[in-house]
Amino acid sequence: MNLPSEHLLYLAAGLFALGVLGFVVRRNVIVVLMSIELMLNAANLTFLAGSRLHSTPGSPDVTGPVFAVFVIVIAAVEAAVGLALIIALYRLKHTVASDSLSEMKG
Amino acid sequence: MAETLFYLLALLALAGAAGVVLAKSPMFSVLSLLVSFFALSVIYLLAGFQFMAAVQIVVYAGAILVLFLFVIMLLDLGQLGRGIELSTAAFHGRSARLGAVLAVGLALVGLISAQRGALPPAAPAAGHEGGIDGLPQLAALLYGRYGLAFEATGVLLLVTMVAVVALAKRQRKNLPGSGQGGGRRGGA
Repeated sequence: MNLPSEHLLYLAAGLFALGVLGFVVRRNVIVVLMSIELMLNAANLTFLAGSRLHSTPGSPDVTGPVFAVFVIVIAAVEAAVGLALIIALYRLKHTVASDSLSEMKG
Repeated sequence: MAETLFYLLALLALAGAAGVVLAKSPMFSVLSLLVSFFALSVIYLLAGFQFMAAVQIVVYAGAILVLFLFVIMLLDLGQLGRGIELSTAAFHGRSARLGAVLAVGLALVGLISAQRGALPPAAPAAGHEGGIDGLPQLAALLYGRYGLAFEATGVLLLVTMVAVVALAKRQRKNLPGSGQGGGRRGGA
């Protein structure tokens, strides 16, 4: 199909921007984690678009998909650790609002 | 035909992402994230990445989002009506403005850098009917050149599993009805 790879990059830029918006603006830690997933997906899309740009019809360039697989593994790991932290946080404070964590005066 | 499908799906993915940010209940956030991921998966398919499309569905929609849903239901956070919880009152205006500026700036940077210069001419985009990620090549690269990284990923997953169990384990003193129940004491 004749889809220009630039448009994949536009989509990735939009998704990443929305992820950053959610990460900064939302207070619910679970939604913040979901925004991170969104950003990782945008990064994946960028890897794939790059792979698409660099492959020629005869020889596909598969480095992009390989790194996308690694990114997906990292996303899974991050989600698992983040959600475990959220469970521990909820057990401690009975809330998942990020502004309830001010002990370190960051 | 495929192009219009792509643009529709791109709109759907962006709408899902906006829904994640705007939804009042985290439950709706997860569901619109699911919509976004499915749209992305079909986009991968259209762009010629069949394997990545399958992985997107199986791992993201099937595992990670279910994990999110599980935690939301476990902690009973799905209720509505508290309004969209922005950052705390004192931080509210500054944070929202910073977020908006960051998001718009990033989108602009992405658009501009995708538009000009940085990219090689997109000649190959024409002939990818058979799909880009030839699985044999991908497997050869993943288990050959990046084999060490792949093994390290396995170790990372194991370490993560141990860490998650240690983190989410109920601490003894917080246990509501634990007099002198279990035998193990100390640690943590």
